[in-house]
Amino acid sequence: MNVDFALFIPEFVMAGMALVVLTVDLFLPQDRKHWLPYIALVGILGTMGSVFTIAGKSEELYGGLFLVDNFAVFFKVFLLAVGAFMVLASAEYVKKNLTRPGEFYGILLFSILAMMTMTAAGELLTAYISLELFSFSLYILASYAIHRPKSVEAGLKYILVGAFSSAILLYGLSLIYGSLGTTTFSGIADALAGNDDIPVAFLAGLVLVVVGFGFKITAVPFHMWAPDVYEGAPTPVTAYLAVASKAVSFALLLRLFAMAFGPAMDEWRPIIAGLAAATIVLGNLVAMAQHNIKRMLAYSSIGQAGYLLMGIAALSPLASNGLLFHIVGYSAANFAAFACIIAYENLTGKEEISDYAGLSRRQPFMALVLSGALFSLAGLPVFAGFATKFYLFAAVGNEGLLWLVIVAVAGSLVSLYYYLMVIKQIYLGEPEEDEPLRLSVSTVGLLGALGAAVVIFGVYPGPLINLIEKATAVLPMPV
Amino acid sequence: MIELEYVLFLSAVLFSLGLFGVLARRNAVMILLAIELMLNAVNINLVAFTVYLSPDLLVGIIFAIFIITVAAAELALALAIVLRLYRTRSSVNVDEVNLMRW
Repeated sequence: MNVDFALFIPEFVMAGMALVVLTVDLFLPQDRKHWLPYIALVGILGTMGSVFTIAGKSEELYGGLFLVDNFAVFFKVFLLAVGAFMVLASAEYVKKNLTRPGEFYGILLFSILAMMTMTAAGELLTAYISLELFSFSLYILASYAIHRPKSVEAGLKYILVGAFSSAILLYGLSLIYGSLGTTTFSGIADALAGNDDIPVAFLAGLVLVVVGFGFKITAVPFHMWAPDVYEGAPTPVTAYLAVASKAVSFALLLRLFAMAFGPAMDEWRPIIAGLAAATIVLGNLVAMAQHNIKRMLAYSSIGQAGYLLMGIAALSPLASNGLLFHIVGYSAANFAAFACIIAYENLTGKEEISDYAGLSRRQPFMALVLSGALFSLAGLPVFAGFATKFYLFAAVGNEGLLWLVIVAVAGSLVSLYYYLMVIKQIYLGEPEEDEPLRLSVSTVGLLGALGAAVVIFGVYPGPLINLIEKATAVLPMPV
Repeated sequence: MIELEYVLFLSAVLFSLGLFGVLARRNAVMILLAIELMLNAVNINLVAFTVYLSPDLLVGIIFAIFIITVAAAELALALAIVLRLYRTRSSVNVDEVNLMRW
């Protein structure tokens, strides 16, 4: 078999840079460890540059195991950007709170590598291995603050639930393989389209796969691990969990359902739509009762997973555009919110919502970015959240799932309440201290960039939508 | 040769036992062992499907080898975290791991 290794360049660069970071860490003296994030950043940006060498190509490697297409390229660039922001946002936190920064950045780069292969996977085994490499990296990162009991607890809960859900997912995959005799996505679709009636074993496998993925994307009722893990993990890792892990899982889910399970759409659409509705309702309702801001954002991201699931349930060209659009808008807004929370924790060490009282007087810029991000998550106009939700909900409504859209709009209204509670604290609360908070230049730049992204995607989404349309064009859509 | 149904039944029983173990056991190490049972049920499934349905295509067996490898790595990682937990609170009972509401 002739394999064009040039198509693997981004993966090779990323794996190489991860090893470089781990090796350099061995030789750096303790007082130079603050170089590490910059080395990691160079690695990420270098990889992003190398992705452009494969842009626009459409090839299958190893007989459909590994796909190089616009969809993969779009997500690779997007996830590398998320990784770059992650390195920038965590540099100060890691220096202050965590020992052994070398492994932190090394493992972070490995997790980005896993995300890159996950978006390119065209076969169940490749997808599974990438998913496990990604999950393993996150288990380690979540329990990285080994001297904080909460972090170890988060790591334990995460790995137990993660391993359990992988086992369920695998049993489902084995049933699908057994009933259809193939593991490539296109092979599964062909086998399904060729059969007049769908094998029962396949349906059982499908349900187990949905349950397994339900844990990964925190769909209700498989969400109960998320709030604890989000609260206990080091804050930058929480941001990464909420943004990168969601985005990449949905990229894989969309490819799997569009390319492989498309012909069986009538069977799974009610299941996914039901999960989406339950996730939206419960995530948003329970978020109202939270006092810890990380926990509140955990429930809010559960609610957001519900909106994203709607895109899978609808599965039309328009709905998958809406799904990708909402992933990008949600990621920008959520990361902006988390960047503020990380910066605030670095300065004060506090993470309760009531601790944010009077933030606008102590640090007006951060207050502005945080409020903008929360408004965007709620879906108010001008910000990205409005445009992305509008696009996604309209596309889902087009597919005849109007009841789901009504649930989602109601969920958005409820979410506005708890986001506004935070904003009320920020602008109307009485601060305990009046002393202004000083942000470093890099933090101001990071917050500015993310805040600008939230507004730009909201008022001028045209170029982004063009890219998204090119990316989703490679997915076959059920008629 | 034993029929495929019996092998699948064995794997389903093994999987259910593992599932029960995860839900019923409170000791973190026992939960991990129960998860191993579930993974081995998957391996039996994959190998059986390959042998009975498509003996020339080795996808299922390769899949099983990968699962064995990943499971070993997963267990090592999980035990490291369990050990860390044991050092801080001298217990590996998941009901006592409740700094945050489960």
